[in-house]
Amino acid sequence: MSNNTIIKVEGLSKHYLLNKNVAQKSDTLYGSFINGLKNIKSIGKKNDTKDFWALQDVSFEIQQGDRVGIIGRNGAGKSTLLKILSRITPPTKGRIEYSGRMASLLEVGTGFHGDLSGRENIYLNGSILGMTKQEIDRKFDEIVAFAEVENFLDTPVKRYSSGMYVRLAFAVAANLEPDILIVDEVLAVGDAAFQKKCLGKMNDVSSKEGRTILFVSHNMGAVQNLCNKGLYLTKGRLNSTGDIKDIINNYLQSGDTNKSDYKLQIPEQVTYGYAYEVFIEDENGDSLAEIPVGSYWKIRVKFAITKPTPHFIVAVGIVSSFEMPIRTTWSKPSDINPGNYEAIFYNNDVFLTTGIYKIVIGLSSNVRTFHYSDNEVSISISDAGDILSDKRIINTQSGLILNPMKVTINKSN
Amino acid sequence: MNKDKIIIDPNLSSFFSWNDIVRYKSLLNNLAKRDFLVRYKQAFAGIMWALIKPLMSILVFGYISTKISNSENTATNFVYVASAMLLWQLFSNVFNDVSNSIISNSNLFSKVYFPKIIIPLSTILVCLVDFFISLIILVVLFVISGQSLHWQIILAPLFILLTVINGLGLGLYFATINVKFRDVKFIVPVILQFGMYVTPVIFNTTYYLDRMPSWLHWLFCLNPMVGAIDGFKYALFGGDSIYNIYYFSLSVCVSFLFLFIGVKYFYKFERNFVDYI
Repeated sequence: MSNNTIIKVEGLSKHYLLNKNVAQKSDTLYGSFINGLKNIKSIGKKNDTKDFWALQDVSFEIQQGDRVGIIGRNGAGKSTLLKILSRITPPTKGRIEYSGRMASLLEVGTGFHGDLSGRENIYLNGSILGMTKQEIDRKFDEIVAFAEVENFLDTPVKRYSSGMYVRLAFAVAANLEPDILIVDEVLAVGDAAFQKKCLGKMNDVSSKEGRTILFVSHNMGAVQNLCNKGLYLTKGRLNSTGDIKDIINNYLQSGDTNKSDYKLQIPEQVTYGYAYEVFIEDENGDSLAEIPVGSYWKIRVKFAITKPTPHFIVAVGIVSSFEMPIRTTWSKPSDINPGNYEAIFYNNDVFLTTGIYKIVIGLSSNVRTFHYSDNEVSISISDAGDILSDKRIINTQSGLILNPMKVTINKSN
Repeated sequence: MNKDKIIIDPNLSSFFSWNDIVRYKSLLNNLAKRDFLVRYKQAFAGIMWALIKPLMSILVFGYISTKISNSENTATNFVYVASAMLLWQLFSNVFNDVSNSIISNSNLFSKVYFPKIIIPLSTILVCLVDFFISLIILVVLFVISGQSLHWQIILAPLFILLTVINGLGLGLYFATINVKFRDVKFIVPVILQFGMYVTPVIFNTTYYLDRMPSWLHWLFCLNPMVGAIDGFKYALFGGDSIYNIYYFSLSVCVSFLFLFIGVKYFYKFERNFVDYI
């Protein structure tokens, strides 16, 4: 280990056995009874399992004071890597060596209990993160000030607004004093101002105090702002590592960004039909999950109709990451015959700020919904800095909608 | 950079260490405090429930015991039943709560690293607090029945500890199984329900042993709670509470065997819990 190396990872692999029978879960009493009998019958028989390598032969070194952004699409192994680094789960092969105190923030507010007061939760959460009582005592005022909850310290946190809750949770973690801080996408919660505050705090921690940070995020803007080094994972393997700008470039150009093609789950009971696939595309019709901020995009919904459907409507809704519906668009009602169709929804008027948005899809007949897809599709608007954004619009992070209003200035008396 | 260097590799095996407990002492306290505070929050009678629950059992089983054994001294009989019942309830709470503790706190250790043994240990703290509150009942009955204290009373903490050891050993074993097979949640109450009738709770050991063939005696005494309860009665009332010193020792040995197996088994799988939750 060279003098400045703080984390050294060699040939790290993680293997999972996936049980093929998982799908056999049943929600009904009768079903679970039958499944229980089947399970008892199959005792001793070998289960159908599938090998899965979440990480394969990953090696890298991290220098002290580095802020490392770990990027890759969903399922690339980012979270597994963080879990192994933070000792939550052991590796199957390989070895990690690090020195100093490590704290991991894989979730905001781990162990928060709704019935306990803010004060009690600070102590509980702090001790879960590895702080001693003395440390928490010393940091208490700072935590409370950062979270802005002075007046609610003795209120059970279940009565907090979600904003207060998240602020308090992050404040505890931010006041840890680890040598290595591991952060997983926790900033996806909270409003933009708060996200900015958190990023600022993390920046302070790293630049002023020389701490090492490992940061996983799908928000390329945040990664670029915070990190100086990057680790890019594809399908469990290390694709490239180096300067963050190069790594983000690699990532965006590889087309290995988030998903742009979503296969929807087909409902168990089909009445009139169902939507089965959704594509996110840019204005030229190319699949692109990470839409650069300030550009147009389309949602293409493919659906099947199985019997003549009167007064048919297909609708798409966009919901912000804090569950606020932003807009919903319906097709014109019409009677429709069986067959496969596709609907294209063009977003070429409103520019949304960076972040991940949920796409909700609904099919209805006579105003009665017969297929509704809620948590399956999302779209990510990325602030890719200078790389892709064409600067038509300045992303100020000061609102969900970036379109400027018309402004006039007149001299008044 | 010679700060504590940490190495993670697949073969790393952890085992119980006092250092872990000391380092995570405040987590231990805070988890126990959480469980205790949350349990009685929004309950009108609050902490009184720690008294009411054992009191009901003592009244019911004390009455049954007095009727069946035609005991002449009702108060003495009640204090006997109470001492055994409280210890049994401590055991049953520790066993049951420890075996569910890992599952119910999985949200913690799947997000943050800490020695997982902290969870069952904090559970025990909560059970002990309840136990010490319920001791009030025993003290009151002790005074009513006009019992006098002997020097043996100083042995009482040992048998309380032995009871905790019984619950912990079995609890850790079942907690580990519980990670993969949630059937444990149903099995443990069945074991406890059945177990109470083969443990000298309602009647004393003599009552049971007199009524079974002698070749069954050693089997009866393989129950680790026989030693704990007989020992506790000896500490409180002296006399011939310990039926046979060999059988008593056998039972105590089983306690430590269970503890050993439970701890061993727990640590064998502890690192992989997250992958099975």
